Amino acid sequence: MSGKNEEYIVEMRHITKRFPGIIANDDVTIQVKKGEIYALLGENGAGKSTLMSMLYGLYEPDDGEIYIRGEKVVFKSPSEAAARNIGMVHQHFKLVDNYTIGENIVLGIEPMKKFLGFIPYVDMKEANEKISRLSKEYGLEVNPTDLISDINVSIRQRVEILKMLYREAEILIFDEPTAILTPQEVEYLLKIMEELRKGGKTIILITHKIEEIKKIADRCAILRRGALVDILDVRTTSTQEMANLMVGRTVELEATKSAAKFGKNVLSVKNLCVRNEDKVEVVKNVSFDIREGEIFAIAGVSGNGQVELADAITGLMKAESGSVSLLGKDISGETIRERNRDGISYIPEDRQKFGVFMDFSLRDNLTIRRYYKEPFSKNGIFRFEEARKYAERVIERYDVRSGQGPKTVMRSMSGGNQQKAIVGREIEEHSPLIIFVQPTRGLDMGAIENIHRDIIAERDRGAAILLISLELTEVMGLADTIGVIYNGQLLKIADASELTSQDVGRYMMGVTEA
Amino acid sequence: MTYINNMITDGLAFGIPLFIMAVGAIYSEKSGITNLAVEGFQGFGAFCGAVLATLLGMSTGLGTQTILYLALVMAFIGGAFYATLHALLCIKFRADQTISGVVINILAVALTTFLTSQISGVLYGNASNKLTLDVSARFTVPGISSIPIIGAVFTKVYPFEIIILVIAVFMWYLMYKSRYGMRLRACGENPQAVDAAGGNVARTRFIAVLISGGLSGIGGMCFAYSILSNFSPSIYLGYGYLAIAAMIFGNWNIIPTFFVCIFFGLARAGGSQLCVSMGLASIYTDLFMMTPYILTLILLMFFSKRNHPPKAAGEVYDKGKR
Repeated sequence: MSGKNEEYIVEMRHITKRFPGIIANDDVTIQVKKGEIYALLGENGAGKSTLMSMLYGLYEPDDGEIYIRGEKVVFKSPSEAAARNIGMVHQHFKLVDNYTIGENIVLGIEPMKKFLGFIPYVDMKEANEKISRLSKEYGLEVNPTDLISDINVSIRQRVEILKMLYREAEILIFDEPTAILTPQEVEYLLKIMEELRKGGKTIILITHKIEEIKKIADRCAILRRGALVDILDVRTTSTQEMANLMVGRTVELEATKSAAKFGKNVLSVKNLCVRNEDKVEVVKNVSFDIREGEIFAIAGVSGNGQVELADAITGLMKAESGSVSLLGKDISGETIRERNRDGISYIPEDRQKFGVFMDFSLRDNLTIRRYYKEPFSKNGIFRFEEARKYAERVIERYDVRSGQGPKTVMRSMSGGNQQKAIVGREIEEHSPLIIFVQPTRGLDMGAIENIHRDIIAERDRGAAILLISLELTEVMGLADTIGVIYNGQLLKIADASELTSQDVGRYMMGVTEA
Repeated sequence: MTYINNMITDGLAFGIPLFIMAVGAIYSEKSGITNLAVEGFQGFGAFCGAVLATLLGMSTGLGTQTILYLALVMAFIGGAFYATLHALLCIKFRADQTISGVVINILAVALTTFLTSQISGVLYGNASNKLTLDVSARFTVPGISSIPIIGAVFTKVYPFEIIILVIAVFMWYLMYKSRYGMRLRACGENPQAVDAAGGNVARTRFIAVLISGGLSGIGGMCFAYSILSNFSPSIYLGYGYLAIAAMIFGNWNIIPTFFVCIFFGLARAGGSQLCVSMGLASIYTDLFMMTPYILTLILLMFFSKRNHPPKAAGEVYDKGKR
């Protein structure tokens, strides 16, 4: 094995990486050509990020070899990978909030100059000029003197890309880059990637979104449970094929639902205004109704008042003005427990903070909404046996995977299974109104499919559903009615059939005229 | 008039050593290591300086001022040496930074008290908890010092005030203009970013904590050579905590912190001058000496909300956390 194969710029051969209890990568071999966009497709926990972390020097493989431009390498740290012109945009940006864009980009390789010929100092002026040049070359518009805390996620991502380019990276790794972007921003990013490919860069794209791969990638490696399933030519493979390979069985790409049958009004929100802790108005004069059997989805970019809206309906936050009525009864002044009893179920965005007690057992978490009522309590005494039996039923019904059944401590379970438990608990209330906030965030395709099926089943039972999601595909797939929130205002409410995802995306950016 | 002049002169003599301790605290916290250990650092540093000064005073014919300057160097080294304990606990052994700080303060009191009595026992034959030091010489700039009010700034100045200001200018440059400073401040906000950019978070923080200890030591030594004129457990008067308070009001920035320290100094000196001017008995001095602390309480109420402490301060840096 000479390893001299000039065609491939990156080769990872027979890579195996074990973590306590699991094999993250099992004998994976991938070869990436210079100048191509190579996608890594797989569900959460399939081992994509681990594999790339080894290429970027964050971990060392237990077995296997890495070759860059035909030369065998062993990376002990990211800086060693960077020296071989490898750069990575992480899923969670690594930026210093109170630094300027320019300062973030040069951090670690600061250009120095000498004041009076002997006092060295960091020369931001020259750095900013170089950044401006680079940003023009690739169409990545930024103003180097802006503070990171003042710019949005899309621009922050541009900063991360510029960081790699400033370091003269040739091999660019993108870890789930579109997860946090609006459709318009995704288009923009894909265009930038094209631009980078034209500039001779090699791109490795980690994602679980098949549409993006279809749009931009040349080849695609599919990982499942740490093992390489297949390497495909993207042009000649269908979306359905890729999805099936990724999950390991036939998946329904679109949730199927029957025609809606709306009943009477369940939730009525009128002129609701909410202020946050800093007294800033975050929900502005919002009004809408949800009927029985209706899924009302609120689309919007993160941080536009969605969470506060849900919290004001459930009582976690106080409304400044306006009213919330449930089944014709004004509940604006009620406590959280009163609202629960009236019939609101809530799947919160931050499930670990507001959804469960991490150090309580599954049994306690599943009965927490009703522990003080019969059959779980009688004459003020808790009946463990009843609780256990109930927990077992919910675990079985919602396929919650837990090590020790009802006794399992929540913290020891995976995020997906925690979410299934919460969804099960809330749905079992059979409430007239169920509020889902980001119900599938961080879950993999199989789990998403299940939760979507549950949501539709509840709607068909006649529940009113408020779905708040940042995932546009989820909104488009499930909603009967769509409301788009921007800067605390509902800019548009319309029947789902009247809007395309492009329309919704435009409203999400605050554009009102079509 | 003399009361006001005295207030300014004494205020600066107190505020400037306090300032260098606060700069030390800023270095540590800006790098992401919470520093409640300033009190212990300054005490231990002053102890080391005082031991050197005592030895030099007994065995050589060096003048007071020369000994003082050597003692300041020793206090810096001693403070930095003692700070390695905090740095090791917080960075290497990932201890809780608040607890480490408190433990270091308590340890410093016990350790230096014990060592002082041992050393004085050996040197003087009778164990006392004091190492007597001279009081630093002071100078008055002729001419300018006779201008009303402003002149007080140039009257009876301790030379160490000038030394501290020079060090502080250098520390400002190091923090805001140098490569090291840029990484240090980034470590306190988002260490992951520094790591990803190829910087060494642990090393940057380690050095910052040592600088913190050294600067605190200088501050302590100056107090020992001015208001106390000895080294004894009375050096642990809480000035380290006052320096931390000054850092908080100064919003972790060196220049605003300077003005806060001067303000504290003037408040303290003003209190004692007020006491003198009203002709009250000396027991009331203690009452007036509370002024800076009461001001601290009041200012905390108003300033705490708007402040932006370094985001990552107090958190153990975990490379694997994503």
